[in-house]
This record gives sequence, structure tokens and C-alpha cells, in this order.
Amino acid sequence: MTDQFLTVGKSLRRKDAWNKTTGKALYTADIQLDNIKVGLIVRSPHHYARILKIDKKRSLEIPGVLAVLTSEDIPGAKVFGPLVPDQPSLARDVVRHQGEPVVLIIAETKQSAKHAANQIQISYEPLTPVFDPVQAAQEDAPKLHQDGNVITVLNIGTGDVEKGFQTADHILEDTYILPRIHPGYMEPETSLAVWEEDQTITVWVSSQEPFTDQGCIAAALDLPVEKVRVKSGVIGGAFGGKEDSSLAILAALGAWAIKGAVRLVNTRRESFVAHPKRHPAQIHYKLGARSDGTFTALQAEAYLDTGAYASYGPAVAMILTETMAGSYQIPNVQVETSVVYTNSPLSGAMRGFGSPQSHFAVESMVDSMAEVLDMDPVQIRKVNILKVGDKMFTGVVLDDTAKALPICLDNAREVMDRFQSFEVSPGKKAGVGMALAVQSMGLGANVPDDSSHRLEWAPDGRVLIHLGSPDLGQGLAMAVEQITAEALGLPYNQVESLPLDTLDRPNGNVTCASRMTYMAGNALIDASKKLIQDLLARAGEILEVSPNKLEYKEGQILKEDGSKLPAVEFLGRLAEESITLTSESTFSFPYPQETTPQGLPIGMPHVMYCFGAQVARVEVDPDLGTIEVTHFAAIHDVGKVISRPGVEGQIEGGVATGLGYALYETMLKKNDQWVDNFTEYLLPTSKDLPTHFEIILLEIPEASGPYGAKGIGEIPLVPTAPAVANAVKNAVGVRVKTLPITPERVLGFID
Amino acid sequence: MKEISVTFLLNGKKTSIKSQTNRTLLEVLRVDLGLTGAKDACGGEGECGACTVILNGKPVNSCMVFIGQVEGTHISTIEGLMEKNVFHRLQKAFVEAGAVQCGFCTPGAILTAKALLDENPHPTDQDIREGLSGNLCRCTGYNKMIDAIHLAEQGGLDD
Repeated sequence: MTDQFLTVGKSLRRKDAWNKTTGKALYTADIQLDNIKVGLIVRSPHHYARILKIDKKRSLEIPGVLAVLTSEDIPGAKVFGPLVPDQPSLARDVVRHQGEPVVLIIAETKQSAKHAANQIQISYEPLTPVFDPVQAAQEDAPKLHQDGNVITVLNIGTGDVEKGFQTADHILEDTYILPRIHPGYMEPETSLAVWEEDQTITVWVSSQEPFTDQGCIAAALDLPVEKVRVKSGVIGGAFGGKEDSSLAILAALGAWAIKGAVRLVNTRRESFVAHPKRHPAQIHYKLGARSDGTFTALQAEAYLDTGAYASYGPAVAMILTETMAGSYQIPNVQVETSVVYTNSPLSGAMRGFGSPQSHFAVESMVDSMAEVLDMDPVQIRKVNILKVGDKMFTGVVLDDTAKALPICLDNAREVMDRFQSFEVSPGKKAGVGMALAVQSMGLGANVPDDSSHRLEWAPDGRVLIHLGSPDLGQGLAMAVEQITAEALGLPYNQVESLPLDTLDRPNGNVTCASRMTYMAGNALIDASKKLIQDLLARAGEILEVSPNKLEYKEGQILKEDGSKLPAVEFLGRLAEESITLTSESTFSFPYPQETTPQGLPIGMPHVMYCFGAQVARVEVDPDLGTIEVTHFAAIHDVGKVISRPGVEGQIEGGVATGLGYALYETMLKKNDQWVDNFTEYLLPTSKDLPTHFEIILLEIPEASGPYGAKGIGEIPLVPTAPAVANAVKNAVGVRVKTLPITPERVLGFID
Repeated sequence: MKEISVTFLLNGKKTSIKSQTNRTLLEVLRVDLGLTGAKDACGGEGECGACTVILNGKPVNSCMVFIGQVEGTHISTIEGLMEKNVFHRLQKAFVEAGAVQCGFCTPGAILTAKALLDENPHPTDQDIREGLSGNLCRCTGYNKMIDAIHLAEQGGLDD
């Protein structure tokens, strides 16, 4: 197929990569200003306790201490929260989890701040904590919040599950347990706030949603929003975990209190206990099937431990619920998902947003059902796989792009056959497993899901993208530069995106939900069209011809007589009159009235889906229970590749995170302390990952996508853990239903 | 706390600083010398490799080195890797191979790779995986870093 694209789909170099290889890239912790004071947060040592008294006196006497702040010192809103305003910026009256911020100290040096932290006198009355979400949901559990511990119960379904189970020949029931996961970005949370002489505040953040931070800071300091300027430093990864304004609010509070500059940098230990994690979940899953493999009914009950504060818990529950039937058509479905407060560190957004949890259950269960029915795992999937035009149990009807799913499955079959043919290492047992995945894009129906971005055509011909959403490190900037370059027919190197600054920027909304290339890409294609129209209109005025007689192509204006004039000439002439061409566009995620099911809770359903399949080959030591993933294949439909290394990077990194979920990671509580360091919490290293890794990309265009592209940010880690679990089962006959799949679990020593 | 004077060769330049003894090389690089290419990702516990510098030819976690230990040593940081404004082949290779995403681990990974190539000019995949295993990365899954190191050791990056 000939490629009609100039820039889209090409393997280009990321422009930000150069500064990142030289150490010149400035992350928020690296920004150097005069006179930055040090912020330090005194955190709760208790899981749950009443605060009886906070005595600041001795800490205020420490030389170099500038301020010691508690909740009382916050002039405006004392709580925040993206969905439920339940999270105190500094604890009031009660602490609900270990690591909760209680006091903020501002000092000249780290040493003074630490000294002051040691001198602060806080009396607590410990209360009995609750950690298990099922227990916490009981009537007699300690009540962590006024309205009880159950924040949301979603109950979504279709058909009649009882009848569905009656028509089943086999019914399987299992409970799957999913661990608490740190997003694992390398850059810990950081914020730098500067109180300006004109009574405004500038705050640098490492955040997925600087505009939300701006609103939270303004509310906390009781300032008009326009007096708060939020800027994005270079961001060292986010993966959902930086959709949280807590540190930005506290840095701003400190700067406001001392009328100066304050930097707050979480240590890794603080990051572990204080920042949102992937929700631990317990999923009870019951699936019925006829002897031919056809699924007849699914009933699932899930408990999500959202920890002490809601964060994005209720929204995570929606995607978890919506994806509970995975990639399968099941006529009778009932899913009940409860989001429950506990005294654990809070859980919130993380890459996948509920879908990795549901997929571990459904994809493990489908393999179990295949075994019971003595069917091939690919065959049972083939029998039940969602097809174009099928109605998911949420009522969403799958459009033409769903044809990707069976193609993913066919590719997986081919890979499995190949992986099964490899020779097994001496003393090991080999197994191959696969899993399918669906992952939604977008924020969900009936919530604001818009994204605005601006273009500026500079007099020298460069096009500047005033991106309204941050690049988290994944390469959003490169993707939108390629899309804009394509739309304007300009070389990639002539297009440059600028880091986010709320001062002069349209609101692009949060970078999340596999939606940013799609949203920003669409907005920028439209902005490019407007820019060209404007250029032609102004060129027409200068040339005294109707703009209709002019055409624009690849940086040139074409006149009717066939002559060409470089656009940059006109840009220069306009600049002499102080005119700079700019255009702004907003793209709204499409939730068509006629096809979007109504009557579901706000935020449901998600109507656009990404599809994928993954295959893992493992070798297990039957004596030690150790697992090596030797070969891995990731098959994903991306609609259209915008940046090849960008897409591959998302998949390779996503799978690595998925393998961490499968095999290594869990934030346990040991000796009453949460594991809070990389010595005990194991991120995969270069030695832990498969040496054979292949990517198969499908490009089935999404009609509404920029050049046909859809999201790839989240789905690469969604099927990974069940694919590994299925491979382990295939190798040694052990079905591990609790992640991570440790040697102890393989050998049956625990669970 | 006792203050000491320490002299070492930093990126080829003789450097003397005064510091309290309880401070780490990482803190001195970042705070006193303004060299922020070395990052703190694990809280100064020697677990992530983001603060890697090359000390007397070996890659070390600078958060694990007390400042008093560097007297008389040769230290290379990421800021010193370009020579005469020309990118080092590893820097080029990391950009070329798409090995840089968020970039927070990149300086440490590049310095680890440099120390590896200095000692073993043509490492195998396995050598590279072993060598990089102290540098945590959440974005890339390491594949493109391994590609980048091969690209650098095989040459052919002069453009």
C-alpha cells in the first residue's frame, strides 16, 4: 500500500529527547530560582487516629523555620477531591491513613525543616482501622466518613442471569485478588510555588491536569482562578498517578504563607504512602457456558479498596464494571461493583483504570472454562468474541472498528503455535498463554470531555503548538507535532509544541484515558484548517484577489496562474503589521445521542474501544516455582500509527508494567507499615523482561480519529497478567488467582 | 556537623567544595554545583540508578556516596558527556532508537551504558541487560535502550 502521508506514521526523533540525554531537561525538582525555601510534610504515623492536639511551639523555635502550617492555616477550601471533595489537604481532627499530611513545615534548609518536624508535638488517639473493603462495607465496620464507607455501588447488567445460568451446562465460580500497585513513575511528585509581588502565585507542577490544580489551588488559597498560574515542568512519567493536586496545593499554601518560593519534593517513601495507587480489588466471578463453549451468563461482584479518600475510585469502578465481560458477547450479565473506603493509602487513577483488574478475572476464567469444556482456549474465545454490531452489556453497540478483535485473536493463534514449538530449557516446564483485551477511550458519557488547543504561525514559518494538556513523557508532543505538520503540509522540524502554562493556554483537559493523541490531534487538525483559511484570506487582501482563487499546499500559496508564493513571505508581511496568525479549536469526545445508551450513572458508558491480544511463553522451574517469561507478543489495533517509536514505546513499556503486575509488584503491609520502597516493592528490571518481544500492529482506522488514530496509552498492560497466568497454568497446571504470581503461589504455599 | 573540604576532578575540571560530612555526592551535585542531570527517584536508597555518575570509571549511585569519599576521584556526570558541543554516540543512539520517554532515568542509563561500553566495547544482549539492571525505567520496558546501546557500540551514527 502506498503511504500518502508526509509525516504521520514515520519514525522520527523526539525533540525533547536531546535535552533529556544531556541533563538539561528541567523537571520541577530541577528548576532553579533565587531563594527557594524547603517544604516538608509531617505525616501521620497512624492508620487511623483522632488528632487531639498539635503543638507547633517548639518547632517554630528552630532556627531557619519560616512557617509551621496546619489545616487551620488554610484560608480557603480545606478539602479537595476530583469526584468527592473528601480529602483534606492537611488532616483535620482525624487521620485516616498512614502517611496522611498533617503539618506543613517551611524552612530555609532541609536540615532545619527536618529538625522542626522532629520537634512538632502531635497527640493522637489511635482508632481501630479497617483494611479489608468487604469488611469495611459491613454495617458494623468503623465508619471512616460521615456517610459510611461505601461510596458507590454500581449495579449494571442485561438479560436475566438466573435464566442464563439455568441454560448453562457448566458454571464456574472463582475469586480473583488483585494487589495495590504503585504507578511507578521515576520522578516522585514535586511542586514549586512562588508567591509574586503582584499578589498572584505561580506554581510548577508535575501533573496530568494543571488546570485542575489551578482550580484546587485557587480554592484552597481563596484566590480568583486568574491569580493562579500553573506551569508544567518536564514530567518524569505519570501513568495516572499524577491526577492528584495534593502536593501542588501544599506548595502553594507554603508560598502564600511565607510570601516567597517553596519547593516540595516527595521522597519515594512518601510517594508510596501518600499518592494514589492502582485499586486493590476482590472480584468474585461466576460464568456459565454451554458444552459448545457459548457463554450464557456472567455474574460478578467486585470490591474496590479506594483507601482513605475517594480520589478517582468511583470512576475506576465504572471502567472495571464496563469491561467485566471482557471481549465477549454474553447475553445475561449482572455486575455489582462497590467502592469502599478503608484505612489504606488512597487508590485512584492508574493506567488501565479498572480494566487490568477486570481482565485478570475474565481472561483467567475463560481459560478455566475452556479447560472444563476440553476446548482450545482460542476456540472458546472465537465462539464468544464480540463482533461488529454486537451490543455490549452496557448497551454500547460496537462499530466497524471491532473487526480488529477477531484479527487480534487470529494473530494470537499463529503466535501461540509458534511459541509452543520452541524447545524447553532443561529442568523447566514451558507454557503458552494468551489473553484478549478491550479498553475504552475517553472520560465517559455525560461528563465534560472537551479538549482545546491553539496554533500560532510565527513570522519565521515555524508553527507553535500551544498544547492545552501536558506531555507526561509518553510522547504526546511528538504525536501532535506530527499530526500538525501533516495537516499543514510542513516539515516536522518546523512544528514545535510548547510546555503547558495556564496563563495563556486553552484548556486541553486532563492527559489520561487513552484519549490525548485522539483529542488533541483532532483539535489541531481543525485548528490547522482554520489557520490555512486565515492565511489565504489575508494573502488575498495583500494580493488583492479573492481567497477562493488561492490555494495552500505544503507551505506555499498557489495562485490561479500556477505561480507559487511561500507562506512565510506573507507571515513576514503580516508580522510587520503586528499580526500573528493563530487559531484555536476544541474537540469534544463524541457521545452520539442516538447511539449512546442513556440511563446509566453519569460517566457511563464509554463508547469507543481499543482492542488487543497478548501471548506469553513462560518457563517455570517446577521445584522452585520461579517463572521466566521467555517470549512475548503484543498485538494491538492502533487505528493508525502516528509515531512508530511512540506506539512501540507505549506497548513495550505497558507490557513491562503488566509483567510487574503479573509477577512482582504488590504494596503489602508488613509489621503494620506499608511497604514504601523499591527494595521490597519490585519494579521489573532489564533482567526480568522477556528477551524475545514482538509487536504486531493493526491499523483499522477509527473514523473519528486524527488520520484514523485511536488510543494506545493504556491497553498494552491490560491483557498481560492474565496471559502470563494462563501460560503458567499451561506450564505446570496451577491456576493462580491472586497477583502477583510468586513462586510461593505457584508451589501452593500461600492462598 | 563537621565541615570538610573536598577536591575532585569533575567532568575533567578540578573542583573543590566545602560541605558537611553527612551529605551525599548527589546532594552536592544537585544543590551546590547545580548539576541536576543526576536524579533522585528512590529517595536516596540506591535502588533506582537515576542518580548514576561514573566514579573512577565505574557507574555508581551518587546517593550512596558520601561527599568525603570522593576526595581525589574522577567523576563524570551527564553534563560532561558532550565533547566540544558534540553529542556522545550514546546520546545520539538513545534519541535515534526512541529510547527516551519521560527521560527521568535517561541520564543514569546513559552513564551506566557508557561505563559498560568503556569496559566491554561490544556487549551481548545479556551483558546489556545485566549492566542496565540497576537502572529502573517505567516507561520503555528497556527494549529500546538495549537497541540504543547496540546502535552505539556498532557505530554508524555520524549524521
